[in-house]
Amino acid sequence: MSWVLSLPLLIPFGAAVLAFLLKDRPSGAWVSVLGSGAMLIASIVLMVNVLAEGVIAGQMGGWPAPFGITLVSDLLSAVMVVITAITALAVSIYALADVRPRIAGLGYHALFQVLIAGVAGAFLTGDLFNLYVWFEVMLIASFGLLVMGGSREQIDGGVKYVALNLISTILFLTGIGILYGMTGTLNMADLAVTVPEVENQAMVTVVAMMFMVAFGVKAAVFPLFFWLPAAYHTPAFSTSAVFAGLLTKVGVYALIRMFTLVFVGDISFTHEVLLWVACFTMVTGVLGAAAQNDFRKILSFHIVSQIGYMILGLALMTPLAILGAVFYLVHHIIVKANLFLVAGVASRIAGDTALKKIGGLYAFAPLLAVLFLIPAFSLAGFPPLSGFWAKFLLVRAALEDGHGFVAFVALAVGALTIFSMTKIWAEAFWTPHPEGKEPRLSQLDAATRWSLLLPIAGLAVLTCIVGLFPEPFVQFAERAAGQLLEPTEYIETVLGARP
Amino acid sequence: MSDGAHFLFLIALLPFVGALVPGVMIRAGRTACASFTAVPTALALILLMTFAPAVLRGEVIQAEIEWLPQLGLSASFFLDGLGFLFATMILGVGLLITLYARFYLSGDDPMGQFYTYLLLFQGAMLGIVISDNILLLLIFWELTSLSSFLLIGYWKHLPEGRQGARMALAVTGSGGLAMIGGMLILGNIVGSYNLTDILAAGDLIRASDWYLPALILILLGAFTKSAQFPFHFWLPHAMAAPTPVSAYLHSATMVKAGVFLMARMWPALAGTDAWFYIVGTTGLITMVLGALIALFKDDLKALLAFSTVSHLGLLTMLLGFGTEAAAVAAVFHIINHLTFKAALFMTAGIVDHEAHTRDIKRLGGLRHLMPVTFVIGTIAALSMAGIPFFNGFLSKEMMLEEASHTKWLDSYYVVPVLATLGALLSVAYSFRFIAHVFLGPVRDDYPHKPHDPPFGMWAAPALLTVLVLLIGILPAVAEPIVTAAASAVTGADLHPHLKIWHGVTPALYMSILAILGGAVLLAIHAPLDRAWIKAPRPEAKTIFDGLVAALAAFARTITEGVHNGAISRYLAIFTVASVGLGAVAFAGGGLSERTRELLPIPPVIAVGWLMLIVATVSVVLMHRARFRALVLIGIIGLSISAGFAYLSAPDLALTQISVETVTIMLLLLALHFLPKETPRESPMGLKLRDGLIAIAAGGGVGGLVYAFLLRDIDTISDYHIANSYEGGGGTNVVNVILVDFRGYDTYGEIIVLGIAGLIIYALMQALLEGPAARRLRNVDYSQDRSRDRHPLMMVVVTRLLMPIAIMVGIYIFLRGHNQPGGGFVAGLVIAIALLMQYMASGFAWTQARQRIEYHAMIGFGVVIAGLTGAGAWVFGLPFLTSGYTYVHLPPIEEFELATAMLFDLGVFLTVLGAVMLMLYSLSRIARYAGSADVNVEAMDYDPSERQSDAEEAR
Repeated sequence: MSWVLSLPLLIPFGAAVLAFLLKDRPSGAWVSVLGSGAMLIASIVLMVNVLAEGVIAGQMGGWPAPFGITLVSDLLSAVMVVITAITALAVSIYALADVRPRIAGLGYHALFQVLIAGVAGAFLTGDLFNLYVWFEVMLIASFGLLVMGGSREQIDGGVKYVALNLISTILFLTGIGILYGMTGTLNMADLAVTVPEVENQAMVTVVAMMFMVAFGVKAAVFPLFFWLPAAYHTPAFSTSAVFAGLLTKVGVYALIRMFTLVFVGDISFTHEVLLWVACFTMVTGVLGAAAQNDFRKILSFHIVSQIGYMILGLALMTPLAILGAVFYLVHHIIVKANLFLVAGVASRIAGDTALKKIGGLYAFAPLLAVLFLIPAFSLAGFPPLSGFWAKFLLVRAALEDGHGFVAFVALAVGALTIFSMTKIWAEAFWTPHPEGKEPRLSQLDAATRWSLLLPIAGLAVLTCIVGLFPEPFVQFAERAAGQLLEPTEYIETVLGARP
Repeated sequence: MSDGAHFLFLIALLPFVGALVPGVMIRAGRTACASFTAVPTALALILLMTFAPAVLRGEVIQAEIEWLPQLGLSASFFLDGLGFLFATMILGVGLLITLYARFYLSGDDPMGQFYTYLLLFQGAMLGIVISDNILLLLIFWELTSLSSFLLIGYWKHLPEGRQGARMALAVTGSGGLAMIGGMLILGNIVGSYNLTDILAAGDLIRASDWYLPALILILLGAFTKSAQFPFHFWLPHAMAAPTPVSAYLHSATMVKAGVFLMARMWPALAGTDAWFYIVGTTGLITMVLGALIALFKDDLKALLAFSTVSHLGLLTMLLGFGTEAAAVAAVFHIINHLTFKAALFMTAGIVDHEAHTRDIKRLGGLRHLMPVTFVIGTIAALSMAGIPFFNGFLSKEMMLEEASHTKWLDSYYVVPVLATLGALLSVAYSFRFIAHVFLGPVRDDYPHKPHDPPFGMWAAPALLTVLVLLIGILPAVAEPIVTAAASAVTGADLHPHLKIWHGVTPALYMSILAILGGAVLLAIHAPLDRAWIKAPRPEAKTIFDGLVAALAAFARTITEGVHNGAISRYLAIFTVASVGLGAVAFAGGGLSERTRELLPIPPVIAVGWLMLIVATVSVVLMHRARFRALVLIGIIGLSISAGFAYLSAPDLALTQISVETVTIMLLLLALHFLPKETPRESPMGLKLRDGLIAIAAGGGVGGLVYAFLLRDIDTISDYHIANSYEGGGGTNVVNVILVDFRGYDTYGEIIVLGIAGLIIYALMQALLEGPAARRLRNVDYSQDRSRDRHPLMMVVVTRLLMPIAIMVGIYIFLRGHNQPGGGFVAGLVIAIALLMQYMASGFAWTQARQRIEYHAMIGFGVVIAGLTGAGAWVFGLPFLTSGYTYVHLPPIEEFELATAMLFDLGVFLTVLGAVMLMLYSLSRIARYAGSADVNVEAMDYDPSERQSDAEEAR
């Protein structure tokens, strides 16, 4: 099973090296596209395997768990890898036209692939320290992508981004060290076995909090989300799309993994904290969005708010809630990345992302308007798009668990989300362009148009499919949630597997 | 499922499928577009009519397919009297609107879009009324909000249209969300989301603790949609939409969705005090208030909008009464209101279209110019006023009759008096509509000379007025449908008799009073109007805008408060969060007995430890002087290395020393281009706060470490030590962990290092192309700089050291698997040797002798390490599985060859490449910044020149 598990990671690495060698030629960008395509195939193979055989694990270097490093994939990991590959493919096609040759010449596509590899690595690892390594890979690659271009704004955002994330990874590393000091192991499945046996459970909870804060920074939850809005609106659009789609979700994934597998000893405390964090994240995020007047900034704050919903699912910890969180995670990646891609096209033809400076997109680029409308209203939770199901599941989970107030918050935040989405719609799409420009898609040459719009359309179609035929996806999320809440299979597969 | 029930799916789908038609047909011309838009609607209507006999007999038609069974959602539809009534209204008026819009929209308006949205809306609305699953109903409910948003904002160039659309969506969308909550609670109580089940479980629902929350949430949805007080304000603003939209959505269908919902839920929710007081009272207030405002509106559409609000209030009130007779009246009034109000809206649209104004004060006398329109408008308005022989009279009488014997709290008067007042106001504004638009003298200052529109435009309202008269004179024609619908609402078998004359009843007196009073009000309208304009009154729009602005301001305060751009604040919040959560988590939990004793501390170690502490504190205190801080950091690093060595970790010590050296050297180079001091500090108070936070955090982590160090545990490292030689072929367990046990980690880490090198390069590249390069060139370094770039001694020594250092590097590399060392350290050692060449002999000199590009070196490193790992697949082993063998070549002793070594080579190359690339990047700045008057080549410096320079200077 080893190669099934390592390919989704090694393919982007390979693509990165190749893209780097070809960085001064247009073919470098195509390598990135091909690499993402190959990764998608590999991840689908992985998914098929997991669906057929349940949790699969592979021991790197042939050392038995918990002594070596284990790669492991349950349904959650598998779906995250698939969605990562989909996003990578979409964004790499988009990047063909979005990334200027000068930036590409600095190794943009290589870094992009490294980032994807890091994300996939984080989803597939079964080892805590290894997770840290992938965090570092992601961090360094994302920093590179963020500051590429070297404008003052970018560097300012990049420095904040890297400083806060470094601090959080240091906290993560400290947590790993202390946890190792208490349990003597790094393997997550092994930790699930040994952590409950630790005598000093209070210390375990302290470490759990360290992980919560460290992952919380990554996931951009309240009150640790500052770096996100500071950084996400500055780089190339393809960069912000892949960031928005994937990076915070790695933090959410790590939270879900650790707080369903390892830190489940004191749920009444840890998950209560998560519940409050979720509520505050939802509210502050959407309020932040309400205060913004820039296409990308509004979207950035929405990420924060949406993360709150996923955390909410984890915090409630019921089967339906975890199901909702998984569903939300997948839906959100597709939709959010897509919105940033749309913002890129809008900025390209209308000239800016500040809402006051653009307009007329509905009249002159109706296709783009439709392509915006789908992810935007999906994000806002309108049926029958994917976001409706995601919100619906979580609200229902909250109500069934007796958390009426939380359900109320979730719904109220939904209303505010609608409101700020309509702000973008009204100002960028309906209002005539302030300078009387006619932002038409035909301004772009055919190749550019295709490479920008194809991924957007593809992701939009995906959103509609998930929305109209939610059953298989909900069923899948249900199975995934089952595996998370009943981790015996996971633990046995990891610890029992011998090469 | 009865025969043909599956046609229900077809009915529900037709509008959605049809929504694709206009987009295609618009190229065939406007008439063709409109005709083809009518086809799906007409088809659906015909299909619906095939069910008419069965439904009117009281049968319920059901059809179901699974959609999302896990969540209790199925695509199930049912058609009973109520659904049939609404579906007929939606499709019937839909046809009329299609016809009307064909003539109403101008050539500049994108007609295809209009019809697409219209059909989408129609489908959503139809879905609401025939859903048999409340989740499905919710979906359609939200869809109507969405499609109406697009329709209201159809004239996107109008700011009022955009604002009205956003306001409508914000209000109705939020209401919809509340309803989601309510429906979910309802589903929880009943255990099913099937409407049929829920309607049958009324007693269970009303007895539940969750009844009130569910009721309130569902009513929020209904009230927002049906524009009930205090949510009525969006409806008048939605009138910025084209008139066909107003006629269709905002009088005939969408706003009735809330009323429909209350009627639909009647068996499940009605019959309690809560229902009566919430629904009944809201309806009553809305009815009176709406009518009052309508009387003073000069915009024809605004008048009609508020009149609609008022009539919706009337319907709500009737449903709120909770009696069967009231339900019959409500159902009947739904039909009547539809006919006259849609006709009135279309009339208003015609007037607007022809006279180019809707301002009542600029109109009047149109009966001579537009006789057809006059007749249509008058008939409809008289019905709205509730004059006998028009259908509005019948249902209004029934309403007054019900009101006359309804007790509110302990009062028998509140409801009848207010109901009469509402009716009176209604008469007044209806008369005003007739009198001030059509009667009076012909004016000569219309913005556009009006005349009757083409037949196509007045056909639709004319047809509706025929219905008005037909029902008004022969009420029995409406009896079957009213019977079926009212029975469906109440769940009882009702047989109402609709007739004009009920005898001398209280309602008759109330009616007469209303008509007379209304006539009087119209007579004194002018002075009243002046008083109204002067009187201060709360504008709902202003309040709403104020709320939105307040929200935005609040949001901005919050956001900017925590998000002010200062990184120190972010770090403080981060640290406080970590420490606080950790402290709360630990609070109360004790610790077990410790199992280890502290070791004695030798004096030398104590001194080293002290040095470490002093150096650390000094860095904090002296960080403003960057150079000094760097020196101190060096001391810290060395102390830590010494600590590693003392604690028997030679590998770590070796690594730490070389990392330390390289870092400090690179930092030194970088420091050159930075200001000598850091920027101004924060004030003392802030420093104190940050200091306390930092101490708490450091203390916390220290305490945790101290706690676990004193307690024994089993770790996986025992296994590593035991298997290092056997399995990994090396006696140096640290190296075996790095390249074998956890080679996968190392693989990731070398990539991090490589990328870091590339990024520094890329960043520098970008900087040097930007304005920073110009600044660099202009920096004046001449003051405190040696004139000799390449001190002779240093050049000689470094060149001598070079081969030795490389030897050492290779040695460290080779022994790594068994003795302290390895690829990482070796890479750093060789990097240091090369670094020194750069420093001593200069960038150009060294670069000229550099054969391998650093970028490539990093690439090769990663590729070699990766391929080594992947090579294991060839043997069917997992990624990174290592193998080793012992080789004996005659001249030298037997030695070991391990694949791990190859992996280590990858590490070596990457480390070397990355470090050198960083140096290269820094040197590039130096070249920009360098002044031309110093020697470029190493060792071509003649000290005597310096002498003469100095003399010259003197």
